[in-house]
Amino acid sequence: MIDFIVTKYNYLFYIVLFLIGFYAIIVKKNLVKKVIGMNIMQTSIILFYVSIGCKKDGTLPILLDSDLHSHAIDAGKYLNPLPHVLMLTAIVVMVATLGVALAVLILMYKQYGTLEEDELLKRIK
Amino acid sequence: MKFKILSLFFIVITGIILIYGVAGMPDLADPDSPASRHVSPEYIQNTYKDAHTPNMVTTILADYRGYDTLGETTVIFTAGIACILLLKNLKGRKSHD
Amino acid sequence: MITPFNFIIMIFVLICAITAITVKDLLSAVVILGAYSFFMCLLWAEMGAVDVAFTEASVSSGIGTILMVVAIIKTTRRSKD
Repeated sequence: MIDFIVTKYNYLFYIVLFLIGFYAIIVKKNLVKKVIGMNIMQTSIILFYVSIGCKKDGTLPILLDSDLHSHAIDAGKYLNPLPHVLMLTAIVVMVATLGVALAVLILMYKQYGTLEEDELLKRIK
Repeated sequence: MKFKILSLFFIVITGIILIYGVAGMPDLADPDSPASRHVSPEYIQNTYKDAHTPNMVTTILADYRGYDTLGETTVIFTAGIACILLLKNLKGRKSHD
Repeated sequence: MITPFNFIIMIFVLICAITAITVKDLLSAVVILGAYSFFMCLLWAEMGAVDVAFTEASVSSGIGTILMVVAIIKTTRRSKD
Protein backbone atom coordinates (compact mmCIF):
# COMPACT_ATOMS: atom_id res chain seq x y z
CA MET A 1 0.00 0.00 0.00
CA ILE A 2 2.73 2.47 1.00
CA ASP A 3 4.75 1.37 -2.01
CA PHE A 4 1.73 1.96 -4.25
CA ILE A 5 1.35 5.52 -2.91
CA VAL A 6 5.07 6.36 -3.13
CA THR A 7 5.65 5.12 -6.69
CA LYS A 8 2.35 6.32 -8.17
CA TYR A 9 1.55 9.47 -6.18
CA ASN A 10 1.20 11.51 -9.38
CA TYR A 11 -1.81 9.50 -10.56
CA LEU A 12 -3.52 9.86 -7.18
CA PHE A 13 -2.99 13.63 -7.32
CA TYR A 14 -4.57 13.84 -10.77
CA ILE A 15 -7.52 11.76 -9.63
CA VAL A 16 -8.10 14.20 -6.75
CA LEU A 17 -7.97 17.17 -9.16
CA PHE A 18 -10.30 15.40 -11.60
CA LEU A 19 -12.82 14.71 -8.83
CA ILE A 20 -12.71 18.36 -7.68
CA GLY A 21 -13.61 19.44 -11.22
CA PHE A 22 -16.28 16.75 -11.49
CA TYR A 23 -17.81 17.87 -8.17
CA ALA A 24 -17.91 21.48 -9.38
CA ILE A 25 -19.62 20.46 -12.63
CA ILE A 26 -22.29 18.33 -10.96
CA VAL A 27 -23.10 20.05 -7.66
CA LYS A 28 -22.49 23.80 -8.14
CA LYS A 29 -25.53 25.73 -9.34
CA ASN A 30 -23.74 28.73 -10.86
CA LEU A 31 -22.80 28.33 -14.52
CA VAL A 32 -19.47 30.17 -14.25
CA LYS A 33 -18.53 27.78 -11.45
CA LYS A 34 -19.31 24.91 -13.81
CA VAL A 35 -17.00 26.41 -16.42
CA ILE A 36 -14.25 26.72 -13.79
CA GLY A 37 -14.77 23.06 -12.89
CA MET A 38 -14.48 22.07 -16.55
CA ASN A 39 -11.19 23.98 -16.76
CA ILE A 40 -9.81 22.17 -13.69
CA MET A 41 -10.84 18.79 -15.11
CA GLN A 42 -9.15 19.42 -18.46
CA THR A 43 -5.99 20.62 -16.75
CA SER A 44 -5.82 17.45 -14.67
CA ILE A 45 -6.06 15.30 -17.81
CA ILE A 46 -3.27 17.31 -19.45
CA LEU A 47 -1.13 16.88 -16.32
CA PHE A 48 -1.72 13.12 -16.47
CA TYR A 49 -0.43 12.97 -20.03
CA VAL A 50 2.62 15.14 -19.32
CA SER A 51 3.60 12.96 -16.37
CA ILE A 52 3.55 9.87 -18.62
CA GLY A 53 6.42 11.41 -20.58
CA CYS A 54 8.67 11.78 -17.51
CA LYS A 55 11.92 9.79 -17.35
CA LYS A 56 14.34 9.44 -14.49
CA ASP A 57 17.55 11.49 -15.14
CA GLY A 58 16.17 12.64 -18.48
CA THR A 59 16.86 16.11 -19.82
CA LEU A 60 14.55 18.42 -21.79
CA PRO A 61 13.52 17.27 -25.30
CA ILE A 62 16.01 19.60 -27.01
CA LEU A 63 19.10 18.03 -28.57
CA LEU A 64 22.43 18.77 -26.90
CA ASP A 65 25.30 20.11 -29.01
CA SER A 66 27.26 16.89 -28.57
CA ASP A 67 24.41 14.85 -30.04
CA LEU A 68 23.71 17.00 -33.10
CA HIS A 69 25.82 15.04 -35.54
CA SER A 70 26.10 11.68 -33.83
CA HIS A 71 24.33 8.80 -35.52
CA ALA A 72 23.23 6.80 -32.50
CA ILE A 73 21.45 9.02 -30.00
CA ASP A 74 20.63 7.42 -26.66
CA ALA A 75 16.83 7.78 -26.44
CA GLY A 76 16.80 7.25 -22.67
CA LYS A 77 18.66 10.53 -22.14
CA TYR A 78 15.79 12.73 -23.35
CA LEU A 79 12.21 13.02 -22.13
CA ASN A 80 9.44 11.58 -24.27
CA PRO A 81 8.42 14.47 -26.59
CA LEU A 82 5.19 12.93 -27.93
CA PRO A 83 2.84 13.68 -24.96
CA HIS A 84 4.08 17.29 -24.91
CA VAL A 85 3.08 17.73 -28.56
CA LEU A 86 -0.37 16.22 -28.07
CA MET A 87 -1.00 18.39 -25.00
CA LEU A 88 0.04 21.59 -26.82
CA THR A 89 -2.92 20.91 -29.12
CA ALA A 90 -5.18 20.13 -26.15
CA ILE A 91 -4.40 23.42 -24.36
CA VAL A 92 -5.31 25.50 -27.40
CA VAL A 93 -8.55 23.54 -27.93
CA MET A 94 -9.31 24.09 -24.21
CA VAL A 95 -9.21 27.86 -24.63
CA ALA A 96 -11.42 27.65 -27.75
CA THR A 97 -14.01 25.69 -25.74
CA LEU A 98 -13.80 28.25 -22.94
CA GLY A 99 -14.42 31.13 -25.36
CA VAL A 100 -17.55 29.58 -26.90
CA ALA A 101 -18.90 28.62 -23.45
CA LEU A 102 -18.49 32.17 -22.15
CA ALA A 103 -20.15 33.62 -25.27
CA VAL A 104 -23.17 31.37 -24.65
CA LEU A 105 -23.19 32.43 -20.97
CA ILE A 106 -23.29 36.14 -21.90
CA LEU A 107 -26.21 35.50 -24.26
CA MET A 108 -28.07 33.55 -21.56
CA TYR A 109 -27.62 36.38 -19.09
CA LYS A 110 -28.93 38.94 -21.59
CA GLN A 111 -31.96 36.77 -22.30
CA TYR A 112 -32.95 35.56 -18.81
CA GLY A 113 -31.12 37.86 -16.37
CA THR A 114 -29.57 35.17 -14.20
CA LEU A 115 -26.77 32.62 -14.18
CA GLU A 116 -28.07 30.30 -11.45
CA GLU A 117 -29.24 26.99 -12.79
CA ASP A 118 -32.46 26.61 -10.76
CA GLU A 119 -33.71 30.17 -11.40
CA LEU A 120 -32.86 29.72 -15.06
CA LEU A 121 -35.00 26.58 -15.28
CA LYS A 122 -37.90 28.46 -13.61
CA ARG A 123 -37.66 31.41 -16.01
CA ILE A 124 -37.45 29.23 -19.11
CA LYS A 125 -40.82 27.64 -18.27
CA MET B 1 -29.56 18.17 -0.11
CA LYS B 2 -30.61 14.73 -1.30
CA PHE B 3 -29.20 15.56 -4.73
CA LYS B 4 -25.89 16.61 -3.16
CA ILE B 5 -25.53 13.36 -1.23
CA LEU B 6 -26.40 11.32 -4.34
CA SER B 7 -23.82 13.18 -6.46
CA LEU B 8 -21.17 12.82 -3.75
CA PHE B 9 -21.87 9.08 -3.79
CA PHE B 10 -21.36 8.95 -7.56
CA ILE B 11 -18.17 11.00 -7.30
CA VAL B 12 -16.75 8.60 -4.70
CA ILE B 13 -17.66 5.65 -6.95
CA THR B 14 -15.85 7.30 -9.87
CA GLY B 15 -12.79 7.89 -7.67
CA ILE B 16 -12.70 4.24 -6.60
CA ILE B 17 -12.90 3.08 -10.22
CA LEU B 18 -10.10 5.46 -11.24
CA ILE B 19 -7.85 4.34 -8.35
CA TYR B 20 -8.50 0.72 -9.36
CA GLY B 21 -7.35 1.64 -12.87
CA VAL B 22 -4.15 3.26 -11.56
CA ALA B 23 -2.90 -0.16 -10.38
CA GLY B 24 -2.12 -1.09 -13.99
CA MET B 25 -0.22 2.09 -14.85
CA PRO B 26 3.60 2.26 -14.97
CA ASP B 27 5.48 4.00 -12.15
CA LEU B 28 6.27 7.70 -12.25
CA ALA B 29 9.44 8.52 -14.25
CA ASP B 30 9.99 4.94 -15.33
CA PRO B 31 12.37 4.96 -18.35
CA ASP B 32 11.01 1.61 -19.62
CA SER B 33 7.33 2.55 -19.57
CA PRO B 34 5.33 1.49 -22.66
CA ALA B 35 4.80 5.09 -23.75
CA SER B 36 8.53 5.76 -24.08
CA ARG B 37 9.60 2.45 -25.64
CA HIS B 38 7.60 2.16 -28.81
CA VAL B 39 7.51 5.26 -31.01
CA SER B 40 9.34 8.02 -29.16
CA PRO B 41 12.92 6.66 -29.71
CA GLU B 42 12.28 6.91 -33.47
CA TYR B 43 11.34 10.55 -33.11
CA ILE B 44 14.28 11.33 -30.81
CA GLN B 45 16.85 9.71 -33.13
CA ASN B 46 15.54 11.04 -36.44
CA THR B 47 14.45 14.63 -35.77
CA TYR B 48 17.77 16.30 -36.50
CA LYS B 49 18.36 14.18 -39.59
CA ASP B 50 14.93 14.97 -41.02
CA ALA B 51 14.29 18.58 -40.09
CA HIS B 52 17.60 20.08 -38.84
CA THR B 53 15.98 21.55 -35.73
CA PRO B 54 17.32 20.67 -32.29
CA ASN B 55 13.95 21.13 -30.59
CA MET B 56 12.04 17.86 -30.94
CA VAL B 57 8.66 19.22 -29.85
CA THR B 58 8.47 21.81 -32.62
CA THR B 59 9.68 19.29 -35.17
CA ILE B 60 7.00 16.76 -34.29
CA LEU B 61 4.33 19.47 -34.05
CA ALA B 62 5.05 21.13 -37.38
CA ASP B 63 6.69 18.43 -39.51
CA TYR B 64 5.63 14.92 -38.57
CA ARG B 65 2.17 15.93 -37.36
CA GLY B 66 1.52 18.95 -39.53
CA TYR B 67 -1.98 17.85 -40.51
CA ASP B 68 -2.82 17.53 -36.82
CA THR B 69 -1.84 21.15 -36.31
CA LEU B 70 -3.86 22.12 -39.39
CA GLY B 71 -6.92 20.48 -37.85
CA GLU B 72 -6.29 22.35 -34.60
CA THR B 73 -6.22 25.61 -36.53
CA THR B 74 -9.58 24.66 -38.06
CA VAL B 75 -10.97 24.16 -34.55
CA ILE B 76 -9.77 27.61 -33.46
CA PHE B 77 -11.24 29.16 -36.62
CA THR B 78 -14.61 27.48 -36.00
CA ALA B 79 -14.61 28.67 -32.38
CA GLY B 80 -13.84 32.24 -33.45
CA ILE B 81 -16.62 32.22 -36.07
CA ALA B 82 -19.05 30.79 -33.50
CA CYS B 83 -18.17 33.53 -30.97
CA ILE B 84 -18.61 36.27 -33.58
CA LEU B 85 -21.98 34.89 -34.74
CA LEU B 86 -23.22 34.51 -31.15
CA LEU B 87 -22.17 37.97 -29.95
CA LYS B 88 -22.99 39.86 -33.16
CA ASN B 89 -26.43 41.13 -32.13
CA LEU B 90 -25.63 41.66 -28.45
CA LYS B 91 -26.51 45.39 -28.44
CA GLY B 92 -29.80 45.01 -30.31
CA ARG B 93 -31.13 42.19 -28.11
CA LYS B 94 -33.77 43.06 -25.53
CA SER B 95 -32.24 42.90 -22.06
CA HIS B 96 -34.09 41.38 -19.13
CA ASP B 97 -33.65 43.15 -15.79
CA MET C 1 12.28 16.02 -11.60
CA ILE C 2 12.76 16.95 -7.95
CA THR C 3 10.27 15.17 -5.71
CA PRO C 4 10.04 17.62 -2.72
CA PHE C 5 9.59 20.58 -5.07
CA ASN C 6 6.92 18.58 -6.90
CA PHE C 7 5.06 17.93 -3.65
CA ILE C 8 5.09 21.59 -2.58
CA ILE C 9 3.70 22.78 -5.91
CA MET C 10 1.06 20.03 -5.88
CA ILE C 11 -0.16 21.23 -2.47
CA PHE C 12 -0.40 24.82 -3.79
CA VAL C 13 -2.33 23.59 -6.84
CA LEU C 14 -4.78 21.67 -4.66
CA ILE C 15 -5.37 24.69 -2.39
CA CYS C 16 -5.97 26.91 -5.43
CA ALA C 17 -8.40 24.41 -6.99
CA ILE C 18 -10.46 23.99 -3.82
CA THR C 19 -10.56 27.75 -3.19
CA ALA C 20 -11.55 28.52 -6.78
CA ILE C 21 -14.72 26.43 -6.54
CA THR C 22 -15.72 27.35 -2.97
CA VAL C 23 -15.33 31.16 -2.93
CA LYS C 24 -18.62 33.02 -3.42
CA ASP C 25 -17.42 36.07 -5.36
CA LEU C 26 -17.00 35.11 -9.01
CA LEU C 27 -14.25 37.65 -9.75
CA SER C 28 -12.12 36.24 -6.92
CA ALA C 29 -12.78 32.73 -8.21
CA VAL C 30 -11.52 33.71 -11.66
CA VAL C 31 -8.38 35.39 -10.31
CA ILE C 32 -7.65 32.33 -8.15
CA LEU C 33 -8.11 30.20 -11.29
CA GLY C 34 -5.41 32.33 -12.95
CA ALA C 35 -3.11 31.63 -10.00
CA TYR C 36 -3.98 27.93 -10.38
CA SER C 37 -2.95 28.06 -14.03
CA PHE C 38 0.38 29.64 -13.13
CA PHE C 39 1.13 27.01 -10.49
CA MET C 40 0.22 24.33 -13.03
CA CYS C 41 2.62 25.94 -15.50
CA LEU C 42 5.35 25.84 -12.83
CA LEU C 43 4.63 22.15 -12.25
CA TRP C 44 4.98 21.39 -15.96
CA ALA C 45 8.22 23.36 -16.26
CA GLU C 46 9.48 21.32 -13.32
CA MET C 47 8.46 18.08 -15.05
CA GLY C 48 10.48 19.05 -18.14
CA ALA C 49 7.68 20.05 -20.49
CA VAL C 50 8.88 23.58 -21.24
CA ASP C 51 6.88 24.08 -24.44
CA VAL C 52 3.66 23.07 -22.71
CA ALA C 53 4.57 25.34 -19.78
CA PHE C 54 4.96 28.49 -21.82
CA THR C 55 1.91 27.75 -23.93
CA GLU C 56 -0.10 27.37 -20.74
CA ALA C 57 1.38 30.57 -19.27
CA SER C 58 0.46 32.63 -22.32
CA VAL C 59 -2.73 30.99 -23.55
CA SER C 60 -4.58 29.52 -20.60
CA SER C 61 -3.61 31.82 -17.76
CA GLY C 62 -3.38 34.92 -19.95
CA ILE C 63 -6.11 34.79 -22.57
CA GLY C 64 -8.36 32.47 -20.54
CA THR C 65 -8.35 34.75 -17.50
CA ILE C 66 -9.00 37.81 -19.67
CA LEU C 67 -11.95 36.07 -21.37
CA MET C 68 -13.48 35.10 -18.04
CA VAL C 69 -13.01 38.58 -16.53
CA VAL C 70 -14.72 40.14 -19.56
CA ALA C 71 -17.59 37.65 -19.28
CA ILE C 72 -18.04 38.46 -15.59
CA ILE C 73 -17.97 42.22 -16.24
CA LYS C 74 -20.68 41.74 -18.87
CA THR C 75 -22.84 39.56 -16.60
CA THR C 76 -22.80 39.54 -12.79
CA ARG C 77 -20.33 39.05 -9.95
CA ARG C 78 -22.66 37.46 -7.44
CA SER C 79 -23.26 33.76 -7.04
CA LYS C 80 -25.21 31.75 -4.51
CA ASP C 81 -22.66 28.99 -4.00
